[in-house]
Amino acid sequence: MKELLSSTLAGLGQGSVYALLALGFVIIYKSMRVISFAQPALMLAGAVLVSYLVGPFGFIIAVILGVVGIALLGLGLERTVIRPMVGKPVFVVAIITLGIDIALRVVINGFIGTDVRQVGDPWGFSRVSLLGVTVQERYIAMFLTTAVVITVLFAFFKYTRLGLATRAASYDQETALAQGISVSTVFAMAWAIAGGLAAIAGTFVATGVGVDQQLWIIALKALPAIILGGLDSLGGAVVGGLTIGVVESLIATYQSDFAPWLGDNFSVVSPYVVMLLVLLVKPYGLFGTKEVERV
Amino acid sequence: MANWKHRRTAFAAALFAVALVATACRGGGDTGGGGGDGEVATGTGVTAEACPDTPNQDNGCIYLGIISDLTSGPFAALAVPITDAQKAFWERVNEQGGIQAGDQAFDVDVTSYIKDNKYNPEVHRQVYQEIESEVLGLAQTLGSPTTAAIINDLEANNVVSAPASWTSAWDFKDVILESGTNYCFESMNSVDYAVDEFGAESVMAVHYAGDYGEDAAGGAEVAAEAQGLDFTAIETGQGPENQAGAINAITKQKPDLVIVTTGPTDAAAVVGQSAAKGFKGKFIGTSPTWNPALLESPAADAFKALYLQSGPWAPFGADTPGHQAMRDALGDVDPSDGYTAGWAWSYPMKAALETAAENGDLTREGLVEAVKSLTTVDYEGMLPEEAGNFADEPNDAVFRQSVISEVDEDAPTGVSVTKDLYTGPSAEGYEFSEPCF
Repeated sequence: MKELLSSTLAGLGQGSVYALLALGFVIIYKSMRVISFAQPALMLAGAVLVSYLVGPFGFIIAVILGVVGIALLGLGLERTVIRPMVGKPVFVVAIITLGIDIALRVVINGFIGTDVRQVGDPWGFSRVSLLGVTVQERYIAMFLTTAVVITVLFAFFKYTRLGLATRAASYDQETALAQGISVSTVFAMAWAIAGGLAAIAGTFVATGVGVDQQLWIIALKALPAIILGGLDSLGGAVVGGLTIGVVESLIATYQSDFAPWLGDNFSVVSPYVVMLLVLLVKPYGLFGTKEVERV
Repeated sequence: MANWKHRRTAFAAALFAVALVATACRGGGDTGGGGGDGEVATGTGVTAEACPDTPNQDNGCIYLGIISDLTSGPFAALAVPITDAQKAFWERVNEQGGIQAGDQAFDVDVTSYIKDNKYNPEVHRQVYQEIESEVLGLAQTLGSPTTAAIINDLEANNVVSAPASWTSAWDFKDVILESGTNYCFESMNSVDYAVDEFGAESVMAVHYAGDYGEDAAGGAEVAAEAQGLDFTAIETGQGPENQAGAINAITKQKPDLVIVTTGPTDAAAVVGQSAAKGFKGKFIGTSPTWNPALLESPAADAFKALYLQSGPWAPFGADTPGHQAMRDALGDVDPSDGYTAGWAWSYPMKAALETAAENGDLTREGLVEAVKSLTTVDYEGMLPEEAGNFADEPNDAVFRQSVISEVDEDAPTGVSVTKDLYTGPSAEGYEFSEPCF
């Protein structure tokens, strides 16, 4: 039982990171109907920026500055590269984000160099005992931070004018424009928020093990999460991310006991298996908007 | 309409995930000289004209290519110093007069044809084809799966190459000038060492798929069988978040010894998290698992307490004439055992070129013949001379000794030798008739 709880908690921690990344994808998708493949590069950029700032400023300040820095980077990318493409087919824009990702990673790799950089987090691999269940502190930190970030984000969308504008633009851009909503502000803000979220996620991914040039691959785990939760559902991204994290962790813990015939590393592919199963039953994901279809 | 659009987007997301992993490669061709004349027979990659930027304007030039993981692959942290050490090695050879062939002499150029393989076999093959017609041989071909992608071509065209990898398959290839023992024998020795030192009774191999990890796992299994130990092999993927399966296996089965063949960040996850979960057994990692930066990571304490590093030769700070010459040639650099490896791997190529030059045949065929006649190589003490035996059958020629180092914060690369070159009973008795994987 203790093992089950400890594995679930670890999964929730890791899942929080997937949730943050997934939220970035969903926020951009909701506003622009484009899946932004630049998220992995933004995540890597966040982790690297924090690894540079942690020396002079300490971890907490470094993370805050990192989030602001990468949010500005996201904003800048939207203004310079994406903006001229408004009105073009979304597929083209998606391909451009792919190009941004690759180009950005080449630049970031220069800052990583060939060694492993450390983000200097205070947790390392330390563990605490909660009611007899041992769990790594960093997983608790990931979960709590994500909970706070998501609460703020949801409150923002629900209670602020800009949040309302975002929701309106995501329903229907032309109508929103006609109502005097600045859709371009909404786009820019979506990229900034996605960048900030990616920076937090990158920092957490790098806790314990550090940042190397391969770190960005983890961001792809957010894809099964958003497809599981539904491409246009913020709540779905959170549920999807946490589910993927827990499923992965439980399978890593128990699969060798119950289904050893699946091989040593079934947990690594399990997010994609879950994604396929969900797609078979609910093609829009668990919480995605069903599109009305008329012939 | 909207329906399939939505589905299409979901499908495209999955598809792009795959596309992202296979990013594009950087090409770029070079041109260079070919042909030659004089008393010594020469061919592809050897010219009578001097090398570019050499002080020895009277010498001819031997061009050797380097294909390495220089920017974005998983082994770039080792590959860059490996390449720098090789440049320094050949510069020293040139400063000492080059390769003597009767009254002629040749400098060796390893800088004109350097290519980045990004640790991708396809890229490796592509850049190899770009430079193949310009070089006599390869001063470095980094990686096992990458070199495997061009091995047929190397053999068909007699392109003698120094590998930057230690798989046991190379002992069976005439054109590959391997140095030091392979992962297979190294792991056998590691298991034997753990039996002697800690009385290990169970062994687990945590390894990447492919020749690197499986060669080591194969060796660990051989030694476990020879010693009558329990053995399990856990294959693991790349990426720290993908190590959960291996960590669980370690903490559940609690083996006395874990042989690790991964990259450094994954080793940090495996060693650090297993220790955090209370694992008390020992880890012995092959040399690519170590990076001195691990001592600054949160896993540092776990490494200090539980980790030993096996290797084909002593680390950067060791006291041999070869190590000293390397440090002198490199000058003021951040110590890395990539330098040590690049330097050591160059000795057999030098010996082969010298033999071929003495034979008056600096063609590709002449170089292969020279390799086949080498029974010893002068490694300036980094390895014993018999480590450079390329003449005999693999079972007689293979070098079976390896070293064990422990974490030592005061050493230049964070490790220092605790057991010098030795052959354990398992490696000693093993009949080496085929590669270990």
